[in-house]
Amino acid sequence: MKPADFASDTLETRRIAVCVGCGGVGKTTVATALAVEAARRGQRSLVLTIDPARRLADALGIGALGNEPKVLPDEALNALGIDSGGSLSAMMLDMKRTFDELVERFADSAESRRRILENPIYQHVSDALAGSVEYSAMEKVFELHERGDFDLIVVDTPPAQHALDFLEAPQRLLEFLDSSLVQMLIHPAFSAGRMGFRLFQKGMRRVLQVIERITGIGFLEDISEFLLAFEGMAEGFRERARGVRALLAGPECGFVLVTGPGWESIQQAGEFLDRLEGFDVPLVGVLVNRMHVWPDGGVPPTFRDTNDALGALGDALAADAPADFPAEDAARAALETAKRYAAWVRRDQNATRSLRERTERSGRYWGSIPELADDVHDLLGLSRIAELIFDAAKTRDPGEESRGEV
Amino acid sequence: MLDSGRSLLERRLIIVTGKGGTGKTTVAATLAVASARAGQRVLVVEVGRDEQIPRLFAKNPKPVGYAGRRVAPGITAMRIDPFEALSEYLGLQIRVQSVVDLVLNNAAFRQLMSATPGWRELITLGKIWHLERMRDGRGRPRYDLIVVDAPATGHGVTFLDAPRVVVSAVRAGPLRRQAFEVETLIEDPERCVLLPVALAEELPARETAELVERLTGEVGVAVERVIVNAVVAEPFSEQLADLDDRLSRLAASGGSVHPELPASSTLALCASYLKSRSALNRHYVDVIGRLTGLPLTLLPQLTNGVRTSADLETLSSAFFRGADA
Repeated sequence: MKPADFASDTLETRRIAVCVGCGGVGKTTVATALAVEAARRGQRSLVLTIDPARRLADALGIGALGNEPKVLPDEALNALGIDSGGSLSAMMLDMKRTFDELVERFADSAESRRRILENPIYQHVSDALAGSVEYSAMEKVFELHERGDFDLIVVDTPPAQHALDFLEAPQRLLEFLDSSLVQMLIHPAFSAGRMGFRLFQKGMRRVLQVIERITGIGFLEDISEFLLAFEGMAEGFRERARGVRALLAGPECGFVLVTGPGWESIQQAGEFLDRLEGFDVPLVGVLVNRMHVWPDGGVPPTFRDTNDALGALGDALAADAPADFPAEDAARAALETAKRYAAWVRRDQNATRSLRERTERSGRYWGSIPELADDVHDLLGLSRIAELIFDAAKTRDPGEESRGEV
Repeated sequence: MLDSGRSLLERRLIIVTGKGGTGKTTVAATLAVASARAGQRVLVVEVGRDEQIPRLFAKNPKPVGYAGRRVAPGITAMRIDPFEALSEYLGLQIRVQSVVDLVLNNAAFRQLMSATPGWRELITLGKIWHLERMRDGRGRPRYDLIVVDAPATGHGVTFLDAPRVVVSAVRAGPLRRQAFEVETLIEDPERCVLLPVALAEELPARETAELVERLTGEVGVAVERVIVNAVVAEPFSEQLADLDDRLSRLAASGGSVHPELPASSTLALCASYLKSRSALNRHYVDVIGRLTGLPLTLLPQLTNGVRTSADLETLSSAFFRGADA
């Protein structure tokens, strides 16, 4: 796949681009750069981040981000030479708020809403429920998609330890609600106290007794109370979760896997690929961020520090230097530096090779973003990253940024 | 004298944490090597799905699993799987294996557990607590030091938070009591210390500062220093500080000065790249020190990455020196 095809597929054909990958690979930066590029192409784009991304807000120059999209002023885009009629918005997911909003939407009465929101278990569950960050992220995407205010929503997914928690989260929540144990806890007989145990078959009774013995009876009562209140909204919740799942697997959505070039990142990216394929979601391409690139874009040559070569380089460097210039040390240091950089380039090329082959074999896009010597911390930097992603021909020299401030 | 952080090794438990990609796992392994070099019996624990640490000590290692296995003299590695820990815990609580099996194999129970928050973290910390209490035949601790490679940051705080959440959400009973004991261990600065790993770059620097603030504030765990990993050393001596400019001027005249050498422009680019990277690192080392107010231990960037026990030796030497990279 060519960069141009990748761009038009991801940014113009689809409505949602989900950036997945492990933490620390620059996913937020890449996601935002995709949204910038979409705006350049005339789209109304939104980047939704999960990170407490004060830095993203700073980079975009729009103050604090909240749970509602915030649009960049036109002047900011014009300054980048973007006057395509597109727009760029950003928002940060407030997970707790999104979860509360769900409860408010689906609770069947004011009374049950209050009972849920005040239940001590809910308060902890919505903070810590496995996959609840992930779930509320997807829920928000669904809501924004339905609202239809944006042509493209770019999602920066949370750096999940178990890679794809957010895909499994809705399913897990449903299974939890449907599980026979939960159903049993909801059973009014149980909340009446221990007598309820008699109603269950022997095996289940045993399980409940064990849980009770370890946690204390109060805990089960709190859970039961919570689940009872929750049951009223379960149906709405369930339907919603199905909708989210269908959206993610559908043609409007495209996944982009972001990785770093290190061995560990590449290994984890491979595992991601396995699982994405298992989920049967539409993966469009893989982007390797912060790849060390040799100035001519190819494989670094081998070069030797023979006395001859060192002498020639030392002489050339000393040409306009004071008499006490340590010419030989300088030549040696220059070569050491080049060898070191060459080693990084080779290391990245070797580490990424098999993933690259695998990606290209499956007809997906493989792209790399060269490592810059400086951090990206403003809109201009993000726009430059977008150029690096989508205009491979213009791939910059790795040292080019180094003349900027540090 | 450079501050080396050797006193960390006098604790019973070091919990290594940090954002993904900072090299937490290699730092945990480095501490294990340093501890073993100091003559300690050390246990290094992973909590993720795969075993990365054994791979640093041998090619294609056998799994170490929940039982743990010696990976080098003085070093035992282990991976804690929450379900195995739960099985062990239930065994200790119930003492009747058939009942434990009945519970663990109950489909509804497994379903409930797979959706229930927090228990994985709690049971993992519970197992670590248990390991800390283990004694050998002579009544000495089974392990002098336990190093835990904790989940990446966001999750790292949740991980350490689990006991506190249970103590506040559960009213009474054995679970609450045990969570309380685990919390006591984590919050005892004499026994336990949390060690954040940062990179000297903008985002990791900020996140490390936020992490330190949350950990000392909300969780109440001791944090006494930060490891700054993969620091790129200054490429040139002071006398050659303008070498990159000289190379650039040389590049302007074009070509290469010798057939064995790459083009001068390439040498210039490499020099200016390394110089900027190292200056950037130095800047953010200062930022991390200033924002956290903690002493730092710097570990150098190794050109070929950290892949073997020889690399770990190099890093542990840097750890003892206090590595002013």
